[in-house]
Amino acid sequence: MRFLMISCKKAGFLLSKKEENKLTWLEKIQLKGHITICSFCRRFEEQTGWIILNAKHAHTHSEATLPEEVKTRLQNLLTD
Amino acid sequence: MVVHAKIKTRIGQFSCQYTISPLILPIILYQPMAQPLLQPDKWISNYSDALYAYTLVRVNDSALAEDIVQETFLSAWKGKDSFKGDASEKSWLYTICKNKIIDYYRKKGRDIIQPIEGKDVSDGFFNEAEHWTTTDAPGDWGIDYQQAIESKEFYKILNGCKKKLQQLQQSVFVMKYLEDLDSEEICKALGISSSNYWVLIHRAKLQLRACLEKNWINL
Repeated sequence: MRFLMISCKKAGFLLSKKEENKLTWLEKIQLKGHITICSFCRRFEEQTGWIILNAKHAHTHSEATLPEEVKTRLQNLLTD
Repeated sequence: MVVHAKIKTRIGQFSCQYTISPLILPIILYQPMAQPLLQPDKWISNYSDALYAYTLVRVNDSALAEDIVQETFLSAWKGKDSFKGDASEKSWLYTICKNKIIDYYRKKGRDIIQPIEGKDVSDGFFNEAEHWTTTDAPGDWGIDYQQAIESKEFYKILNGCKKKLQQLQQSVFVMKYLEDLDSEEICKALGISSSNYWVLIHRAKLQLRACLEKNWINL
């Protein structure tokens, strides 16, 4: 049974591999087993997933605007 | 003389034959001429701020983001004759911009000579048995993880945390999650091995999560 047990650090690596479906069948079992018993790693998975979800559309929450002088310069270039 | 085009189809054991009158052929073959609709004179007012914000969260540097947006518009202007109209003007411009951002990361990846080995920052999060240390174990955030957040404050802090990542970690994080490239493409673009990639992406996540917990949750 010992070969099925993995550390939290290893579980973290496997979580990233899982995103690309790159887990071997053994790794799948190891990760599933670890996540079931380790509440910290379960949280880690949920929280990083949530951070990524938000990071993906962070630009829509940005108030940054292109400086006016750059806009004017570009506008002139494009209407030439 | 009437010419009939005969089309024979065979599905399983059944076969049948259709006869198509040449009169309706023009209708079948007719494809509306694509009308490429580009309005370069309106690009700046319609898209410049959105493209700038899009680029800025990806490169974290305002001067650089300005350059990339400018290059995007200039490339689009030069290539406007090749616009086929199969995508909207907006998504066409975003695609150009996205490619510029990836180009930037590709160039930067070659320039960074950063020892990946050496001090393992992720070791700080784990003890000798590779389990979470009491101080670094993920805390309870008490939020709904299925729900995106609208808070401006959060995005400010997220940006700050992203800036704190090491350059390569940041590149890998942006390319993977914001540009949706897969690990092979990223390794090729940055010239790193796949084992380096897994280390970098894992560390980026560890650091970002810890930074947000410290600066946003425990505010």
